[in-house]
Amino acid sequence: MSWPDDVVERAEVMVAKYPESRSAVMPLLYLAMREDKGLTLDGMRQVADYTGLTPVQVESVASFYSMYKRDSVGDYIVSVCTSISCHLLGGDEVLEAVAEETGVPPGETGSDGRLSVEGVECIGACGGAPAVQVNYELVEGVTPDSARRLCRWLADDQPVVISSDQMQADFGGIRSFEWGPAEPGGATGPVPAFGPLGTEGQRS
Amino acid sequence: MSDRITIMLDGRPVEVDAGVLLIQAAQDAGTYIPRFCWHPRMNPVGMCRMCLVEVEGPGGTMLTTSCTVPVSEGMVVHTASETVKKAQEGVLEFLLINHPLDCPVCDRGGECPLQDQTMAFGPGESRYVEEKRHFEKPIPISDLVMLDRERCILCARCVRFSDDIAGDPLIEFLDRGNYTQVNTFADEPFASYFSGNTVQICPVGALTATPYRFRARPWDLEAVESVCAGCSVGCRVSVQSSQNEILRLLGVDVEATNHGWLCDKGRFGFQHLAAPDRLTTPLVRGEDGELHEASWSDALDRAARGLAAIVDSSGEGAVAGLGGSRSTNEEALAFERLMRHTIGTPHLDAAMGDALDARLLAAAPRRGLIGDLEQASTVLVWGPDLREELPVLYLRVRRAVAELGAGLVVVHPRASGLDTIADHVVRYRPGEGGALLARLAAGDGDLAEVRSALDDGPVVAIVGRTGLTEDGDLAGAVAGFAAELPDASVLAVSRRSNLYGAIDMGLAPGMGPGRVGEDPGRDADGIVEGLRDGSVKGLVLLGADPAGDHPSGTAGDALSRAEFVVSIDLFINDSNRGADVVLPAAGFAEVEGTMTNLEGRVQKVNRLVPAPGQARPANEILADLADRLGGKWESSTAESLASDIATLVPYADVSWEALDRGTGGDGILARGGDVVYSVPTVSTSVGNGMALHLGRVLYDRGTALMMDPSLAKLTQKPVLHLHPDDASSLGVAVGDQVRVSGSDGSAEVDAAVDPSLSPGVVYLPFNLGVSVGSDPSVTVEKVT
Repeated sequence: MSWPDDVVERAEVMVAKYPESRSAVMPLLYLAMREDKGLTLDGMRQVADYTGLTPVQVESVASFYSMYKRDSVGDYIVSVCTSISCHLLGGDEVLEAVAEETGVPPGETGSDGRLSVEGVECIGACGGAPAVQVNYELVEGVTPDSARRLCRWLADDQPVVISSDQMQADFGGIRSFEWGPAEPGGATGPVPAFGPLGTEGQRS
Repeated sequence: MSDRITIMLDGRPVEVDAGVLLIQAAQDAGTYIPRFCWHPRMNPVGMCRMCLVEVEGPGGTMLTTSCTVPVSEGMVVHTASETVKKAQEGVLEFLLINHPLDCPVCDRGGECPLQDQTMAFGPGESRYVEEKRHFEKPIPISDLVMLDRERCILCARCVRFSDDIAGDPLIEFLDRGNYTQVNTFADEPFASYFSGNTVQICPVGALTATPYRFRARPWDLEAVESVCAGCSVGCRVSVQSSQNEILRLLGVDVEATNHGWLCDKGRFGFQHLAAPDRLTTPLVRGEDGELHEASWSDALDRAARGLAAIVDSSGEGAVAGLGGSRSTNEEALAFERLMRHTIGTPHLDAAMGDALDARLLAAAPRRGLIGDLEQASTVLVWGPDLREELPVLYLRVRRAVAELGAGLVVVHPRASGLDTIADHVVRYRPGEGGALLARLAAGDGDLAEVRSALDDGPVVAIVGRTGLTEDGDLAGAVAGFAAELPDASVLAVSRRSNLYGAIDMGLAPGMGPGRVGEDPGRDADGIVEGLRDGSVKGLVLLGADPAGDHPSGTAGDALSRAEFVVSIDLFINDSNRGADVVLPAAGFAEVEGTMTNLEGRVQKVNRLVPAPGQARPANEILADLADRLGGKWESSTAESLASDIATLVPYADVSWEALDRGTGGDGILARGGDVVYSVPTVSTSVGNGMALHLGRVLYDRGTALMMDPSLAKLTQKPVLHLHPDDASSLGVAVGDQVRVSGSDGSAEVDAAVDPSLSPGVVYLPFNLGVSVGSDPSVTVEKVT
């Protein structure tokens, strides 16, 4: 099995970003995960081909990080933080609201395969607690209500592009770094290596 | 590394080598620091925390891992303080939290570093009362290795070995934290030629070898040091047996050759010795045309009569001898005496037409040592795929390049094991090596960069036949070219175990014992030709299987025309199935003697188990045969032959006593001799049509390997590899049947695609049951 042309093109862009191809293993794993809705043996083998690693070396990386899902996941992964800051400010209620609105219990994927819900440990947004990620794009200051609206938006609009900025504007509240000096890249902005995925707001 | 410095070790000043790691320095000074992850032949990682010691420094006295700290002048170290003891007990308590302590049913029990160091440095009891983690146990991670993840203490020795040393990163840490485990990819087993080393270096019983599992307890084993007879590298091994059966081989760490490593073929290639098909009685062909068991005296009488009859009717030159390269030097010398002196024929060859000119092997220009790789700036490998033919030499080259930073130039018709770490890879068509050499020497066009890389000395050149369709003289011409490179060392390599020793004992046409000139005679090719045309009528085979080993693939047919064949062997094979007399010989670890490796290094091989049935050492068989042929040998014991060998000039320093005294040492180099190799000129012609690359694979269908139940199943079926362009122009897809026709026959095999070949070149593995001859020119067509 091989990837469709547009995915291959993105993979090649990612590999070209690094002086050594093996360095591209993490963004490529993210790509493989998106493509197959979770990491499959085939997906990891593809990543091995692009990076010059062996499949088991790729799996070693993939299995170390909990954000790479080796079980199949939905189109959208909704991760609600339940660590201390978010817990104190209502993260558990947000998770409950998400589970109730979507009908998907934490740690599971909906039967239609569209959405996975999980409670996660700290995602580095304590200043904007409670925080939620959709496909690892962050939205902060979420309430149970806005979380329900977020879930309905995912279900109804089925957005192709998930952007942190857009979600923050539509569903977010207080932000971690609103009080600090602005950073040119945006401290809560997208992960640079994911750029070729189009998560900066535009598909490449 | 020769600078010495002084450190304070547990209150006493000791002088140690500057720059070495503290754990090594302490060991050199007689203080053992416990360790699991640190291995003297691998880079330190400081993972297991077992080697914690206290080091005094400006910031106070601190616990630090002694495997990651180099010694420095005046360093003050405590290895047995209360703090260190507490740390060691803590680390061991942690390491044992998930360890099942199933020592009574564990192969490692009795020789287990975890067991031993827990007894020596551990807390005695654990405070951990919770459930240990559980894994399915044990799981096979390859045909030869089983993995028990519950026993694993996550030291990463196997992971680091497979990645850093072997270059086969097929075993890795998966998951994280308390769930961390070592494993392979789901559908990619740990199919490394070096997998057995991970079993040997595993500090617990997590990795076990299927051939040895539950066969013995360590305290029941008897052991001797010896030399692996699998190839000509001459790896030092510890042979271990119980109840007169060899059960395992372990690598012994010597600087000169193997650094403690072995390939799996060497490590597990002993089971044929106890195979049910092993010859245990002499066999003589009866009136009915079948081989029948006979007494030794009847069989020897018959052998002598048959050979004498041929000498009487057709002269001494009608008898020829093949073999000796799998024997000890002592056995080889006895064979030389029988053939050249008692019978009086000059036609004898230890090689099977698959090696190099004996003079090149015995007297290469600027003949080098394996150890020269340690100082090399550039390594040139224009020879066999080392991973397939001389695996531990492959590891040494890999170390020189990947670890020590030497440049590497590989010249081979297709992708070889070393390509991934090579700076320059040059491909060529078999048969056109001469033309390529001329262009390389001139630094022509695209080869200019390669040529200038070779000017960075010291250069170690490993030359040999890239494949069996390649003219053996090419390696000689390459050796001649390489010898002129700056500070060059040349290793002319050929695979079969004691070929170099056999040549030194005079088992080569035109060369007598001790690398001196002799009357010219027929080589293996000439003997096979003589059998075909009837000029050679009688043949003595000593552990030789020309039917399987001669590159033409048709030697078996030639053998069937011989009037009288005597075979001294361990098994019936295609070469001696039609012999008139078959005499059972003692094999590896059943005889005492010496062997000479590809550098000319002589090492002792030792006896550990008795030969089965009536099998006897070949030198005794040969002496009895000589006696019946009127030869008056003074003595024929291996010891007396050894003292005769010591009278040969290159072997003047070699004695069993000196070698035994140096047990575990590097053997003794046999240097010098009269023969001179004159570099040949080779044809620079360029061919057309399809060219065949006939390359060896590690697991071929050699007799001993096929008799080895663990290794026989690793042999692959023969596949013809084509360049993708050729495949598409022939309309061949992967898995299609193709017919390949060569100088000595044709065969139908499955096709595979190999983009590393040059267009117009096809690759067929040698000795996997398919043979089309050894001429490079072949035709390929699709079978419809």
